Amino acid sequence: MLAELGFIATFLAFLAALYAAGMAFYSVRVRDDRLLLSARNAALATFPLLTISLGALLVALLSEQYQIAYVWNVTDPNTPTFFRLTALWGAQAGSLLFWSGIMSAFAFGALLLNWQGQRRLMPYVILYTMLTLAFFLSLSLFFENPFERYWIMPDNSVVKSVFALGGAVPPASVRLAETANGLNPLLRHFGMIVHPPLLYMGFVGFIIPFAFAMAALASGDLSTNWLKATRRWTLLAWVSLSLGLVLGGRWAYDVLGWGGWWGWDPVENAAFLPWLLGTAFLHSVIIQEKRGMFKVWNMFLMLGTFSAVIFGTFATRSGLVDSVHSFARSQIGFPLFFFWFGMTSVSVGLLLWRWRRGELRDERRLNGWLSRESLFVLNNIVFVMLFIAIFWGSFGAPIFSELVMGTTITLGKDYFLQVTPPLFLALFVLMGVAPLSAWGVTSLRRLGKALIVPTVLAALIVGLLALTQPAEPLALLIYGVIALSGTVALWETVRGAAARHRSLGEGWYTAFTALVARNRRRYGGYLIHLSIAILGIGALGSELYQQETQRTLAVGQSLELGGYVMRYDGFLGGQVAEDGRIMDIAQVTVLRDGREIAQLRPRRDFYPNAQGMNTMTIPSAHSTLENDFYVLLVDWETISARSATFKVFINPLINLIWWGALLLVIGTIIGMYPEDRPALATAKAAQPSQLAGAKA
Amino acid sequence: MTHIAWEKPENAPEEVVQGGIQWKYLIGLIALFIGIGYLILQGTVSGARYFISVDELLSGDYVGKTVRISGAVIGESIRYDPQNLIIDFNIANIPTETKDLARTLYEAVHDPNATRLAVHVRNQVKPDLLQNEAQAILTGKLGADGVFYATEVLLKCPSRYEEVAPNQAIADPMAGK
Repeated sequence: MLAELGFIATFLAFLAALYAAGMAFYSVRVRDDRLLLSARNAALATFPLLTISLGALLVALLSEQYQIAYVWNVTDPNTPTFFRLTALWGAQAGSLLFWSGIMSAFAFGALLLNWQGQRRLMPYVILYTMLTLAFFLSLSLFFENPFERYWIMPDNSVVKSVFALGGAVPPASVRLAETANGLNPLLRHFGMIVHPPLLYMGFVGFIIPFAFAMAALASGDLSTNWLKATRRWTLLAWVSLSLGLVLGGRWAYDVLGWGGWWGWDPVENAAFLPWLLGTAFLHSVIIQEKRGMFKVWNMFLMLGTFSAVIFGTFATRSGLVDSVHSFARSQIGFPLFFFWFGMTSVSVGLLLWRWRRGELRDERRLNGWLSRESLFVLNNIVFVMLFIAIFWGSFGAPIFSELVMGTTITLGKDYFLQVTPPLFLALFVLMGVAPLSAWGVTSLRRLGKALIVPTVLAALIVGLLALTQPAEPLALLIYGVIALSGTVALWETVRGAAARHRSLGEGWYTAFTALVARNRRRYGGYLIHLSIAILGIGALGSELYQQETQRTLAVGQSLELGGYVMRYDGFLGGQVAEDGRIMDIAQVTVLRDGREIAQLRPRRDFYPNAQGMNTMTIPSAHSTLENDFYVLLVDWETISARSATFKVFINPLINLIWWGALLLVIGTIIGMYPEDRPALATAKAAQPSQLAGAKA
Repeated sequence: MTHIAWEKPENAPEEVVQGGIQWKYLIGLIALFIGIGYLILQGTVSGARYFISVDELLSGDYVGKTVRISGAVIGESIRYDPQNLIIDFNIANIPTETKDLARTLYEAVHDPNATRLAVHVRNQVKPDLLQNEAQAILTGKLGADGVFYATEVLLKCPSRYEEVAPNQAIADPMAGK
């Protein structure tokens, strides 16, 4: 029943998407409002239909319907309820349907929220979102169907089909339950609840700005309408992708047990690539809105971002790259590749067509190297260069060498560690300087003056890092540059609040909140800059100054690393957890300056029922802002466990990465929150001339 | 029902600046591109690793060169010294292109004629995925002694990633799981 319901709802959603796309296109040709409304209603219907499909799959997972092959494949009777929920995206078929569900939710939201304001763009928005959705649903229906069930044929062979075939009988439910596969142990982690949905929201969310960009190109409404309509959608996609990336890192750090969080793996990079172009886009749209410049460039960035999203999906889901994060080699590779190629060609073709017709001319020109628009251009160039460098390292070089030389050349971590740091550093320099420069022309003198206080603040941070962290002069200099990008954002906010405090006599709290309320976009942006600086310091510290050691310890013995002492206290072998896994746990105490500061439990989990990989080395860490003391249980004496071997890492400043990510979310929420118009009007009316220091 | 303005709206005439190419910016841009292009090129030259099969490694002139190889792990050959974090194991040759990875790995491990290569890894905790019939993607150098000294080990167990067809156990209660 659930399988039929889910399949039929998915199929209806597919038909509705196709109908909506076709009807939206036809409504433009015949200029008929009623047809467009019909298209809209069909597009809106995809969301409830896919909610039913996903609901059916979820109920099947929760109620252990093992006849459904997907349920059999990702759960077993020992799977806790919590992981039954996350199993929805635990393998290819479920996650593809989930992906389509998110896409229809975004389309649903955009059609409701932007319908009145952007009617002219809407037929094309429906066309592009629904064509994309129909494509992804076709993958679910024809290649990776999560509703297929197992049937036993008269000749005793097992086949998969949604509906019962002639003479087929369902397998005995006891046998199905006994043989069920269970969720991949790697996916049994807290991060797996939020990491994939956020990553998908980030990926899929870019469909809205992309569809609006395409709508602007197709309809000829090339004003800033499409940018205004999509600013919040872009931010929502961007922050989801950012968080998805960081949480993916956190998952790797907690589960993969190699002491790091970012490995420059092709799949990680595939998710990072759209982020780079999306971030460049978020910056450069500001220039178009304020100065009427870079119209073609902004279009190009948005088309590139979504193209990178589809390419990343193709790379991750087709088996193109070998990675610990990738899905199975799958039949959906070819359809995805052709979709990516077709979509990119059509969008670039449309853009070139409008460009050649001279409809995307800029209204102003660049004035001086230090003007804000010039620095934004530089920022965009660096983002795009990072994109090219990372794309080349992950996909370009292997594909190019394969095509041209007949042999595959891959570029390892060394390549990324050599090429990307100067570019990241350049981004931090620009992040520090650009907010201080003015539109039009800025003098070096003015910039220098504005940098004095932030530089002093950055120097204080560097001093603090020098006292608490291992660091060489060059590293301290880089810390300084990164810190400066944060202190500029901080100082600009403080300066704005101080101006209100002085001129309007407001209390500090009121001055600060009123300042942010007056220009949420700007101050949300500053908080994001600050968060990226914090994240950057964390990434640098943990990358450059990680310390590690390994030692076999008898019970009572200790090892020392970076000012910490770790004592091996004992061993708990063969502990059986609720989900049936068997845990071997080492008990260790961490001491600092002779004081016991933490009890850690690094362990090895054994999954007796899992196929393929069945052990997981789970680290345990004592976390402070200064560093993480991260312990892996490597081995132990099987009989007595009198001695055990540990690998221990000290990861300096790594927690700044997670804290930075949290601030980033807060900054984005502030930036997305609608402007408080009445307050703005009152504030302006009150003392317009005295607010110069707190300029919006 | 609100009617849609199908015609292109009459926008206020936009101030469009005409003018030639802004040469100083263009030159700056080209210089920047050349600089970064050089960086990428240099990174490519120093970071490039041939991705080859065991057969290609042993038949070519690769001794001492950093390469990336792929092979099937032979479970019974895995030796692990946890005190010194040394892992030794053998891999069997598999073709670089394969459609059904699980089957290819199974056949490679069970084929007595498949080329085998000894692998030595230092200072690494034994990965959870290092087991029989896993695909190992190794970065390292082939020593003059015929042993591959790997510095980076990436492992893949196809059954983890690919949907396992239910074995006959579903249909036949007598069959083992």
